[in-house]
Amino acid sequence: MADTTTVPPPPPPPSTSTPPAAFRLPTFDEARKYLIDSQIWRSVFRGGVWKDTPRDRSAHIIGNVWLHLHPVRIRPRALEWTYTWGLGGISFALFLILTVTGVLLMFYYRPTVGLAYRDMKDLEYAVTLGKLMRNMHRWGAQAMVVMVIAHMASVFLRGGYKKPREFNWGVGVLLLTLTLFLSFTGYLLPWDQLAIWAVTVGTNMAGATPMLGNEGPFSSLLGMRINNDVRFILLGGTTVGENTLLRFYVMHCVAVPLIVGALLILHFWRIRKDSFSAAPRDPNEQKLEVWPHLVVREYIAAAGCLLFIMLWSVLMNAPLEVEANPNVTPNPSKAPWYFVGLQELLVYFDPWIAGVALPNLIIVGLMAIPYIDTNAKGVGYYDWKGRRFANVMFMLGIVMWFILIFIGYYCRGPNYAWFWPWESWLIQKPAPPPTWSVFGPKGMAVLPIWLGVPVLGILGAAAMVLPKLIEKEIPERRSTLAFAGAVAAISVVAHFAFGMEWMQGVWLVFFATLYYYFGFLLPQMYIRSLDWIRYLVTMFLVVSTMGVLLKMGARLCFNIKYVLTVPAVSLNI
Amino acid sequence: MNRKLFYALNALLLITFVAAFALDFSAEWRTWQRQYFDRMAAHFDSEAREATDPAQAASFERQAKAARRESLMVRQLIARDLGRIDRCVTCHVGMDEFANPSLRTPFKEHPFAGHPDVEGLGKAHSFQKYGCSVCHAGQGLATTVDAAHGKVHHWEKPLLDGKLIQASCARCHQNTEGLKGAETVAMGKKLFETHGCKGCHAIRGDGGAVSVDLGRIADKPLEQIAGYNFSLIKKNGAPLPREDWALKEWIRAHLTQRPADFIPNDPFAKYNKEPIAPSGMPNFSEELPEGGAEAITAYLMSMTDEPIPMRFGVLTAAKSEPKFSDPVEHGKQVYRKYGCAGCHGLEAKAGRANFNALGPGQENPETDMDKGREPTLPDTVGTFTRDELRHKIQTGVSGANIVKFNPNGPTPPLYMPAWKEKIKGEELEDLISYLLSIKKKEEAW
Repeated sequence: MADTTTVPPPPPPPSTSTPPAAFRLPTFDEARKYLIDSQIWRSVFRGGVWKDTPRDRSAHIIGNVWLHLHPVRIRPRALEWTYTWGLGGISFALFLILTVTGVLLMFYYRPTVGLAYRDMKDLEYAVTLGKLMRNMHRWGAQAMVVMVIAHMASVFLRGGYKKPREFNWGVGVLLLTLTLFLSFTGYLLPWDQLAIWAVTVGTNMAGATPMLGNEGPFSSLLGMRINNDVRFILLGGTTVGENTLLRFYVMHCVAVPLIVGALLILHFWRIRKDSFSAAPRDPNEQKLEVWPHLVVREYIAAAGCLLFIMLWSVLMNAPLEVEANPNVTPNPSKAPWYFVGLQELLVYFDPWIAGVALPNLIIVGLMAIPYIDTNAKGVGYYDWKGRRFANVMFMLGIVMWFILIFIGYYCRGPNYAWFWPWESWLIQKPAPPPTWSVFGPKGMAVLPIWLGVPVLGILGAAAMVLPKLIEKEIPERRSTLAFAGAVAAISVVAHFAFGMEWMQGVWLVFFATLYYYFGFLLPQMYIRSLDWIRYLVTMFLVVSTMGVLLKMGARLCFNIKYVLTVPAVSLNI
Repeated sequence: MNRKLFYALNALLLITFVAAFALDFSAEWRTWQRQYFDRMAAHFDSEAREATDPAQAASFERQAKAARRESLMVRQLIARDLGRIDRCVTCHVGMDEFANPSLRTPFKEHPFAGHPDVEGLGKAHSFQKYGCSVCHAGQGLATTVDAAHGKVHHWEKPLLDGKLIQASCARCHQNTEGLKGAETVAMGKKLFETHGCKGCHAIRGDGGAVSVDLGRIADKPLEQIAGYNFSLIKKNGAPLPREDWALKEWIRAHLTQRPADFIPNDPFAKYNKEPIAPSGMPNFSEELPEGGAEAITAYLMSMTDEPIPMRFGVLTAAKSEPKFSDPVEHGKQVYRKYGCAGCHGLEAKAGRANFNALGPGQENPETDMDKGREPTLPDTVGTFTRDELRHKIQTGVSGANIVKFNPNGPTPPLYMPAWKEKIKGEELEDLISYLLSIKKKEEAW
């Protein structure tokens, strides 16, 4: 029998585990990968370790809630600074700066008559960085109004409102109005003399609203009194007082920002949906990735904007006047600078026109522009020659707006008399010359009302239709010079025959030529081929603008106070 | 390029933010507070060195150490009853009971000095209850030197310096006569009555109605004073610099200058439909005693409507009027009491100026309107019988009834009120007796 030889024990299996390594610190990349691949990190930031590939760059845009409004790729033309000057983005950046500084200010400011002014002083003198926050908020607000107007002008001049972007332009006009309203409601909150009287001037215009204001035309129709009209709703009382302060605070901090936020969402959504602005395509153009090209430019614009506001706020302190006193009216009392142009118009027009009709006409007119402008040229690029009428009329409006602001801000002193900007307000000025009215009741005007209504109606109608009816080509420069020369000749004759002053002649030539050029010649050259509806709407806006200029000329030249006055219904034009 | 901009902008933002913090933390008040505690520490150190008793020396050293360890912060007195928060003690640390319980400091110069008269004034007016600005005026909420002292644009109640601070005493102390420390304002009140100011200017209804009631004059906003007229004010002969325009200067100028020189007027109707006569207020600059203008200014600066709770008031019984046995002496007192001196002169010596009324030495209607005068009583009373004089005083002379020197010129600004309701009975009779006693003796033929 074979001996069961002991089977040699199986050789030990080859060792599979390495001997325990000596402990060493992970490298930076290993640590980073460990962190980023961890469950916690992955649950917050999806995407893993960043590799600079097109996949990761596009995932970054699509996968991030703040960035995903952007497309992944963008036309190189849209990246140039000179394309939009970043104005829309800067306006939004300012809105964010104002929101953040505003919330910080809300920790200290109480909107009651007894405490508002004191809290402003506390912010300046006792709160760490309180002065900086308040300055940033105030200067940011001024900057935002300027930037929003500049953004509107920039979009207009590049035709970014034309079909199919009309609605977004309208939303933008609403945002402009709400920006001005935000600035206006915020203006009251410091509760100093500047605040209470600027808001008094502004809200008194509401009292002049036709039919809904107790001092406007036709106010008796709806039984409007000082304590139930639209101004009363705005103020929460019959004067600017504690109710107004609280009301304006809520509107400024909550109600209007919410509406603006909603409209901004709509505004940005539409921009994205309409592929930004449709400049003509270059056949060789290659799209660039938004990350990083667009995003870094947006960051630079926002950071530059923030830096500008911060430096301005560190270097220049926002003023705070004496505490609001309803019994002491400063002389002169001026509205905030962006409304002081309308206040200047109050020299020439009644409040219902200067404060209600004209601002509403401006807003409605701006919103109507995309629908009356059928010229397909200049979308996404400047076209000075191809869009002459649109550019010239728009810039006329902008220039008028800012000239009126300049005059109202720098050239009006005590009693709203004319002071050159270098003149001291301490000198005495003579009273203005007496005025007269053209059409009105006996004793108040030279000619009767029953004559005035048809005459003005015929003149208005003629101004509206004449450019369309005259078919022949009129040489632009020659006819304008000839017209100006003719009016000048008439003025010279009138000087010697009727004793008209030379200055009156200057005003006459100036305003009459303005009317001829903008109110007759340009429409005749460019829009007489429009269909009747668009033509009439456009001419209505043009004639209204010219009406403002002509009335100013009538006052400056002939001391005419009202062209038509019907005191029975508080209607004065 | 964008990369460079990115880094540069971020760096600049960080620098600006840090700079803003740094500016905040290098505020003026920190320097003053730090200096105060350093000086106190040095003072205690030297006291410790000179102390003979070791326990005392140790105590001084402890106090020095505590002073060096004090943290810098905005300090304030909250006078709850007065609705004021005063941050003056942020720089004037020696006057803060929490930082300096003894309220005394060894220093003489501001802001390290302690408040004067802690024993008397300080005890009677606890700083915790009163704060600072209710007496000193100024801007209690501010923490920079100029702003806190109210010497800035848009703060209309700057620090009441010198004797003017006594104006605040008169706001609570109904009777300042005999009140220690309120001698100037008491003199001001007396001068206001003796020189006839009360005849034209009532104080809350007590006095004449010819000119404005001065009962709230210290609250007059500077907005209501035309800049053109303020620029005509002179102090010590020189025009007042713009940064010194304050209400107290406007009031004082009424007493140190000829008022018609700076109060708004338009005697030749250059800017208004009707001519407006220059102010009828006489020129008191020669008449008042030394320090009189300052005293009257202090008295008028107490005329404010700023609310102070009733319990802060020190009310005294009204002094009973002195009794006179001699009717002429009584009449003299009546003359003084109702401010007749305002128009008819101190002790009825000479009538005061009244623009475009009749007066001595008038020849040219254009240039001599300012020579018009009120009647000089010693000259005129002799022409009245007792009954006529009584009637005259009772009915007065309205502005329309004053004969104009230049018929095209303005109505004279000063008229005689009807005293029927105010001067009656024995007062009226004794007044007439006094007036008849001062008539100029006619020369014997």
